[in-house]
Amino acid sequence: MILELMIALSVGAGLFGVGLYGALSQTNLVMILMGVELILAAALVNIVAFWRYLHPDEPAAQMFVLIVMAVMAVEMAVGFGIAIARFRVRGSVEMEEARELKG
Amino acid sequence: MTLLALIIAAPLLAGLAALVLRRAPEAIALTGIGIGLAAALALLAGTFGGNAAQLVLPGLPRMPLILSAEPLTAVFAALVAIVAFGVLVYAAGYMRADPDRPRFFGTVLLFVAAMQALVLAGDWITLLAAWELIGFSSYLLIGFWHGRAGVPGAATRAFLYTRSADLGLYLGIFVLIGWAGTSEIQATLAITGTPALVAGLLLLVGAMGKSAQVPLQDWLQRAMAGPTPVSALLHSATLVAAGAILLIRVAPMLPAGALLAVGLVGGVTAVVAGLIALAERDLKRLLAASTSSQYGLMLLAVGAGVPVAALLHLIAHAAIKSTLFLGAGVFQHDRDSTYMDAVAGAGRARPLVFAAFALAALALAGIPPLAGFFSKDAIIAAALAAPGAALLVPPALAGTVLTGTYMARALRVLWGGATQPVSGRGMGWMGAGMAPLAALAVGLGAAFGPLEHGLGAELPPEGTAMILGLAAALVGLALGWFLGPARLLGPMLPWAQSGFALAGGMDALILRPALATAAACERFEQRLLAAQLGLVRAVGFGSASRVERAEQRILARTLAFGRMNLRLGDRAEDTDKNVIDVLIFGLVYRTVAAGRRLRLLQSGLIHRELALTVMGIALIVVLLLAAPLYS
Repeated sequence: MILELMIALSVGAGLFGVGLYGALSQTNLVMILMGVELILAAALVNIVAFWRYLHPDEPAAQMFVLIVMAVMAVEMAVGFGIAIARFRVRGSVEMEEARELKG
Repeated sequence: MTLLALIIAAPLLAGLAALVLRRAPEAIALTGIGIGLAAALALLAGTFGGNAAQLVLPGLPRMPLILSAEPLTAVFAALVAIVAFGVLVYAAGYMRADPDRPRFFGTVLLFVAAMQALVLAGDWITLLAAWELIGFSSYLLIGFWHGRAGVPGAATRAFLYTRSADLGLYLGIFVLIGWAGTSEIQATLAITGTPALVAGLLLLVGAMGKSAQVPLQDWLQRAMAGPTPVSALLHSATLVAAGAILLIRVAPMLPAGALLAVGLVGGVTAVVAGLIALAERDLKRLLAASTSSQYGLMLLAVGAGVPVAALLHLIAHAAIKSTLFLGAGVFQHDRDSTYMDAVAGAGRARPLVFAAFALAALALAGIPPLAGFFSKDAIIAAALAAPGAALLVPPALAGTVLTGTYMARALRVLWGGATQPVSGRGMGWMGAGMAPLAALAVGLGAAFGPLEHGLGAELPPEGTAMILGLAAALVGLALGWFLGPARLLGPMLPWAQSGFALAGGMDALILRPALATAAACERFEQRLLAAQLGLVRAVGFGSASRVERAEQRILARTLAFGRMNLRLGDRAEDTDKNVIDVLIFGLVYRTVAAGRRLRLLQSGLIHRELALTVMGIALIVVLLLAAPLYS
């Protein structure tokens, strides 16, 4: 059982790593958002794995999963909203060009 | 009692009312004088009915003020009231156009009140006070038109002459009171011997001043500067009469020596003043000199030892002379002058006034059956019967002749000459005032018999005197009518015209010393004033400089305080600049510098932000992982 848990956590870590890489390396806003989604998905996998293998009789963990999923949806909505607005104004969502907020 | 008070108080209160209210002064004056007249007549009737009255007021210790109503004083009071009433009625017309009427009527009423107090006085203190009051109010009246040239001088002269003679009155009264130990007139009259002689002579000096006897006669003629009603009042029964009244009252006391002196003064005055009147070139001054002369005759009668004759002549003269003056006032109104040349013919334009004037003039000359005839005969009879007849009869006769002469001269001047048209303005009042006085001048002789009886006096037999008097009067009238003063007086004319001035006359003796004293007093006062000014200046400036020094000290202190405040402000500013500002600006500068450094972090690139976020999270993770190792 611990082995199964380890496998699940490894998948999660892999997802997290992919997501992190995507978020940091990509310059396109959409791609960055995708990376963030992957990170959050990795977290979901970990939560589900811990619940399933360590405390299967605790329903509260499922609540955390549902909340994180709602947060993901909201985050997507906001992120894509910004992207669309940016695109409408500048015709691009390249974040290398978006230096207006430089201090 | 009430009547006595009313006689004095009614004119006095009316005078004050006229002065205070300043409207309708004639009505007020006539009311007051009318009440006074009624009271005086009632008093006269009462005293002749045998009711002597006295009003005693508290005065000096053991010397109460007394108003006494005896037949003699009641006669005087009635006389003053009658003449004053007639004159005031006349004045209502005469002063019609004068804007200063309230002052005129107020002063006249004051004068009348003072005169009544004088004649009714029962003690020497009251008499002296009233004497001074009539002197003062006559000064005011003579100087009534004080703006005109020569008027103030005339008033001052009258005042100084009478005042300097008053010295005799004062000394005489002191002798009387000191000797008798009481101030009551009746009681003092009982003294005899040397004190009586001394007091009598001193009183004579006072009377000479007031009654304008030689050599103090000059002021009276100059007093003509006053309004004509004033002259009429002063000359007939009041101011000038005061001297004669005084002597008539003290006559019972006078010893033979004093009587002779009185008679001689009167005789000399009767002649000298008569000559002056004859030479006079001014109608009013002629009448004034005639007044002196007539009072000389009265003094002569007193000196002859028959004061009743003097009293009769005083009464007759009061009515006659007031009529004459009031008539002269009418002529003066018509011609704006009283010079003989100016009033020539004025009588023919006013036959009624001239008739009254002529009747009075004839009465004064002593033509029967007019009032003056009886009184003048009484005087001549008294002179004939007197012990010093040889000295008294010639002046009495000469005075009578002169009276006729100058009155005839005045009548001739007024009747002759060209007439001029006249206006009737104010004549109603003037005529109304003149008529009763003229009537008295004519008919008063009839009252002399009862009067003598009432006073309980006996006149000496008149047989020779009547013939002598009538002859003298007729001779005088004829001389005056047909001969001019130049022919009558000859080389004496200029001397008489100058009032028989001997080396400046009385002016050198009285007027100049008095004025010099006054000037010296004024100089002294000026010096006193200068000294006061110097003192005031010294004190004032001293205190001012002290105040200034104090002020400067305060200023210095204020300045020091201000400087201290300034220093405090400077220090506050220093603190503000060097401490607070430095701190604040330092903080601001550092904050800005820190912000500048922090700006470098803000690339604006999302991935870099994200990288930083990751690094931060990694740091947190490392710390969290490392935490159990430290605990």
